[in-house]
Amino acid sequence: MTREHAESAGERAFRATRTGAPMSVALAENMVRPRRREGWIERLALLSPIVILLLWEFLSQSDILDKRFIPPPTQVVDEFWVNLENGKLVGHTRDSLSRILIGFAGGSAIGLLMGLYLGLFRIPRLLLAPVFAALYPVPKIAIFPVLLIIFGLGDASKWVAVGIGAFFLVFYNTLGGVLQIPTIYLDVARNAGASRYQVFRTVALPAALPDIFTGLRLAVGTSFVVLVAAEFVGAKSGLGMFIWSSWMTLQVDRMFMGIVVIAFLGYLAITFVGWLERRLVPWARH
Amino acid sequence: MSTAIEVRDVWKAFHDRRTSRTVLAVEDVSFDVADGEFVCLVGPSGCGKTTMLRILAGLETATTGSFRIVGGGRPGMVFQDASIFPWLTVEENIGYPLAIAKVPEAKRRGRVDALLELTGLTDFRRALPHTLSGGMKQRTAVARALVDDREILLMDEPFGALDEQTRVVLQQELLRIWGATGKSVVFITHSVDEALTLADRVLVMSARPGRITAEVSIPFQRPRDVLELRLDPRYGEITYQIWSLLRAGGPAEPVAAGEPA
Repeated sequence: MTREHAESAGERAFRATRTGAPMSVALAENMVRPRRREGWIERLALLSPIVILLLWEFLSQSDILDKRFIPPPTQVVDEFWVNLENGKLVGHTRDSLSRILIGFAGGSAIGLLMGLYLGLFRIPRLLLAPVFAALYPVPKIAIFPVLLIIFGLGDASKWVAVGIGAFFLVFYNTLGGVLQIPTIYLDVARNAGASRYQVFRTVALPAALPDIFTGLRLAVGTSFVVLVAAEFVGAKSGLGMFIWSSWMTLQVDRMFMGIVVIAFLGYLAITFVGWLERRLVPWARH
Repeated sequence: MSTAIEVRDVWKAFHDRRTSRTVLAVEDVSFDVADGEFVCLVGPSGCGKTTMLRILAGLETATTGSFRIVGGGRPGMVFQDASIFPWLTVEENIGYPLAIAKVPEAKRRGRVDALLELTGLTDFRRALPHTLSGGMKQRTAVARALVDDREILLMDEPFGALDEQTRVVLQQELLRIWGATGKSVVFITHSVDEALTLADRVLVMSARPGRITAEVSIPFQRPRDVLELRLDPRYGEITYQIWSLLRAGGPAEPVAAGEPA
């Protein structure tokens, strides 16, 4: 259907209701069908960062902002191409992403399983809750030196730091989700003769899924924060180390480029989790 | 007629951790349900009728006393409201007990199709519950309780949260489905009208602790029309009788209402 055709059908339906002309089922169905306009608003939302970039470019080029400290985006883009070609950017990005992926996946998986398990079983919950409550407020970066001692300067210390950060967020959100499952759902499962494992898989997991995704979304953001902070202080590679060393050598363009790259990757990751949530949790409000 | 359920001297007490008091919910309840019989338990809210039903469903254990499901197996249960899973479609909800029992896909599909047909939900089979009306949700819950063809159906105020018109429609449908399947039903309600519209026999319960204070046989012919029924001169008489029993706490002996049809 052409765009013009769709609009004219909508207009016809609109006129029909306003003028009291006979309404038909086909016309009514046409009126509630999703319009192109909604997709348009979504695309507009993608544009808002671009508007900010344009403003930044203008302020920096016109010397309202000091170019030495805040270079215009075009200069940052130039720096991006240079570092893409010399291979540095790809290497650091690959190292950072693999650390985040492994740390986040591991921490989230353990958080998810522990959250489901402690949510369903009261006695282990009572035994372990104080331990987690005591550990949760410890800043993840504060214990990074300890992780460096135990796991060394390599990837393992970053996996663990990111994993701990992701773990708590997914764990607490999952636990909260399971504890809020209406007992009637559990009754239905028991009445159907479900085993413990079946209750776990067919009720606890799906019922807690909206909360699990809240945890995952928070955990993605935290993973980036923790990783970059960890790479600032103790890493031989990675975007965090790249940004920090650029700062130490006063290569401000490169520093900004690193910041933009990590911000963009974080944005992509959160968008991906949001997309996954809409696919997997279609019954929840978004 | 053979017996489907025997309940003997069931007591149930709960301990409230918060107030550290013990509450007696069910006091010395005994009754039988015959094969294919439709029995309603009617009583004020909080009288322990839901507790009694949950004991029969195996979701609670009686403190003392016993009950027997004569045919064996676990009764199917339709819960008060919002018991269907929001993450499953209508057909997945209906098929849930079969999925738990690991019934093969092909066989499951046949049963689910039959229940969708029986409850008039075929057009909504792939809908998610949040898009359904309250009436359609409860139809789904009824279909789910029937899907694995258990001998006994326990219903805990299944239409309590629905508006009056939807409730009447679903009562009629329930009677039709019951007539078609011949199950024994124990149905809980606090509505006197609902009880005498549906039941062969009404058990009247007192306020907490719940005791069965009276038993009223409902003489209306089957199949019943839930509206035409109200024109029957005995309708008002039985309504009055059950209300009086509820108000008084009621006599302990069985009472026969009206004349057998």
